[in-house]
Amino acid sequence: MRLRFDESVEAFRAELLDWLAAHRPSAEEMAADPSISTGHAPDWARRWTRQMFDAGWLVPGWPPELGGRNAGPIETLVYIEELARAKVPRTTNVQGLGIVAPSILDYGSEAQIRDYAMPILRGEKTACLGMSEPGAGSDLAALSTRAVLDGDRFVINGQKVWTSGANYADFCFLFCRTDPDAPKHKGISIVLVDMDTPGITVRPLPEIIRPEHPDLNEVFFADVVVPAENLVGEMNNGWAMANGSLAHERGMVWVSGVMSLEESMDRLRGELPAITAGLTPAERAVAIDRVVELTIDTTAARCLGYRGFAKLAKGGSAPEQALMKLFASEVRQRIALVGAEVQGAAAIEVGAVDMDGHLSVDEPQGTWLEQYFHSFANTISAGASEIQRNIIAERVLGLPRS
Amino acid sequence: MDFEFTDDQLELRDNARRVLASACPPSLVRSVYEGGGGADDLWATLIGLDWPAIGVSEEHGGLGLGFLEAAIVVEELGRVVAPSPFLATVTQLAPMLREAGSPGLLAGIAAGDCTGTLALAEGGAWRTDAVHTTARRTGAGWVLHGEKSHVLDGASADEVAVVARLEGTAGDDGLGVFLAAGDTLSAQPRPVIDPTMPVATVTLEGAEVGGDRVLVEPGEPGAAPAIARALQEATTAMALSTTATCRAIFEATLQYAKDREQFGRPIGSFQALKHRLADMYLAVERASSLAYFAALTIAEDDDRRGVAASMAKAAAGDCQRLVAGDGLQLHGGIGFTWEHDLHFLLKRAKSGDLLFGTAAAHRAQLARMLGLAA
Ligand SMILES: Cc1cc2nc3c(=O)[nH]c(=O)nc-3n(C[C@H](O)[C@H](O)[C@H](O)COP(=O)(O)OP(=O)(O)OC[C@H]3O[C@@H](n4cnc5c(N)ncnc54)[C@H](O)[C@@H]3O)c2cc1C
Repeated sequence: MRLRFDESVEAFRAELLDWLAAHRPSAEEMAADPSISTGHAPDWARRWTRQMFDAGWLVPGWPPELGGRNAGPIETLVYIEELARAKVPRTTNVQGLGIVAPSILDYGSEAQIRDYAMPILRGEKTACLGMSEPGAGSDLAALSTRAVLDGDRFVINGQKVWTSGANYADFCFLFCRTDPDAPKHKGISIVLVDMDTPGITVRPLPEIIRPEHPDLNEVFFADVVVPAENLVGEMNNGWAMANGSLAHERGMVWVSGVMSLEESMDRLRGELPAITAGLTPAERAVAIDRVVELTIDTTAARCLGYRGFAKLAKGGSAPEQALMKLFASEVRQRIALVGAEVQGAAAIEVGAVDMDGHLSVDEPQGTWLEQYFHSFANTISAGASEIQRNIIAERVLGLPRS
Repeated sequence: MDFEFTDDQLELRDNARRVLASACPPSLVRSVYEGGGGADDLWATLIGLDWPAIGVSEEHGGLGLGFLEAAIVVEELGRVVAPSPFLATVTQLAPMLREAGSPGLLAGIAAGDCTGTLALAEGGAWRTDAVHTTARRTGAGWVLHGEKSHVLDGASADEVAVVARLEGTAGDDGLGVFLAAGDTLSAQPRPVIDPTMPVATVTLEGAEVGGDRVLVEPGEPGAAPAIARALQEATTAMALSTTATCRAIFEATLQYAKDREQFGRPIGSFQALKHRLADMYLAVERASSLAYFAALTIAEDDDRRGVAASMAKAAAGDCQRLVAGDGLQLHGGIGFTWEHDLHFLLKRAKSGDLLFGTAAAHRAQLARMLGLAA
């Protein structure tokens, strides 16, 4: 156990910071042409992703031909931390770079890698992730969108919902039922579907905050024809791939979530003297106590992350990792809630804080009350908190299934 | 940056756990609870294994291991509710001696020849600004007046480091530390809910301390920081101990939830309990992570040690609040009995929270350190 990084890691950090200082898009450039959906990549974002790819800074853990430099996990952790500190996203298409591209690289054909994965890495295409359906949310394996193999093509019918970025994405990483007779986990396949294919209708679903820029969508498929070669991996093996593809960089990405908690707490502590100025001493003491408690939570999130990471980096299993999503998303929610409550009546005013250039579910933006509502994105998506508790209880603690 | 123990440290932990499984079984704790003996034998065993020497440097007759190793032992002792002078001697008196730059007694501690404690708190507050005990110079020595509360092992320790201040001073000014032999002090043991954490009220009405027993000269420039640093170490150790006790409660409860059947199935298959167990687990990991962070800041003498110690102690308090309550509730009636061993853990966890500052007291302290409150 120790608190500092090795010199070689610090040298890596210094090299990254130099490169970022010389090449990063400016805050003004990003704000002038903001990304308005996770499927939308403004020109600066496309250029920037390409630049990172060419310089081997896009996914440092990967080899140079995939936009990396064969960096180790500790370097990757430092990399993610520094990007978050610099407030510059690698991509605005988080699900494309984080989940879709790695999955295609792992399981896809050469042609799929060439036509779908590499264009994401070079900032040329964006992808959306079509998993959830009206009847299949937490119980994802209950999905019913059908893909029927008909000679050398699939015919797809059904509906997805909550598909982030589908209103702008170039293609969809689509989970479909290909064997309705098999047990529900065994009849699912993944198909790559270009979003301009006839028969697809996208209906944006304006969100609880910022309805003018919807990121969520309903996507309807009516006799959509897709070449059979767009099947990713093996037929009916989609469920196993879903679990594999969510694991990429999972040991490291927590740190950007922690950094956004720290950023929020810096803001809250900074605002505290002004927003508590009108309170009685007793009221102020209560407010301060709640802010301190969240400061402890935020520090705990970082330490918990480091503990899990240390075990992973040594090749062990890290139960702490299972706790991170649950803990960080709930802390985020409490920070925003306490911010609004401490602020008092002024918290109901909207538009008081500018949104910046890019969107992401990790990004705390807007007033405290806006952030509070937005924070449910993290406690609901990617396995709601209740599902996380089930997973911890059953898989980590070994409690019997209900 | 590395938050995992080294192989040597993990081995130390395994050894400590093995030793305590036979040297400190629940029957020993029960014996102490019921007025029987056994604690002295345990201490003799630990001395035989050189445990008191763990945090002491080699030049002072110790093993030269660091705070992380001491932390590991503290955790293992907390896990089994060990009735032992270790916590007060090694994590309260020894750091004060070291910070005071008076290594005289450290060799004695390392050898197991003497036990000790730190008498700081007054009126249940472990803050130096709450110290009202006065020190007055008389010829070659000093005379102390005041009352110290909640002195761990206060009625049995061989040596007591007493924090006092010059008359007419306040805050950080005028503080000093004096070493008093336990048998010269008037110590009233308090009847406490957890006899493995015995505390005493130490009354100093004209207690005399020789000039050669001044650990920190009152008013010396480095006095307040030295006391603060020793207190951070003691506080972190109490957080580690309490969190380890909480982990033991959690593990016992988890096992019980798997074994106990009702309505034809293990109670741990009910989602209401699963979610509570997941939250207990999170509370334990949250507190552990912060306790290790605090231990690291002490081991590496990092600037954040004051903040980290208070965070660790606050988190240990939060943790026991959830884990002790849910641990008892999930055991049902059996956990409510004297015969079941669970209550030893529960009471140790409560004592550990309430001694050296509750979660709320440390949050208030943090508010000052973070510049949020005056
Ligand atoms: C901002 C955002 C972005 C998203 N992006 C995408 C995307 O890009 N692609 C995509 O496919 N999906 C996406 N989703 C969908 C997301 O994965 C689902 O919302 C999530 O899986 C929950 O499903 P549901 O909304 O149907 O809620 P339900 O599953 O109906 O859950 C409702 C409530 O019941 C609880 N619950 C359900 N089952 C259990 C159980 N077994 N035990 C205890 N409690 C239970 C849940 O925790 C929740 O509180 C996104 C969602 C959000 C909010």
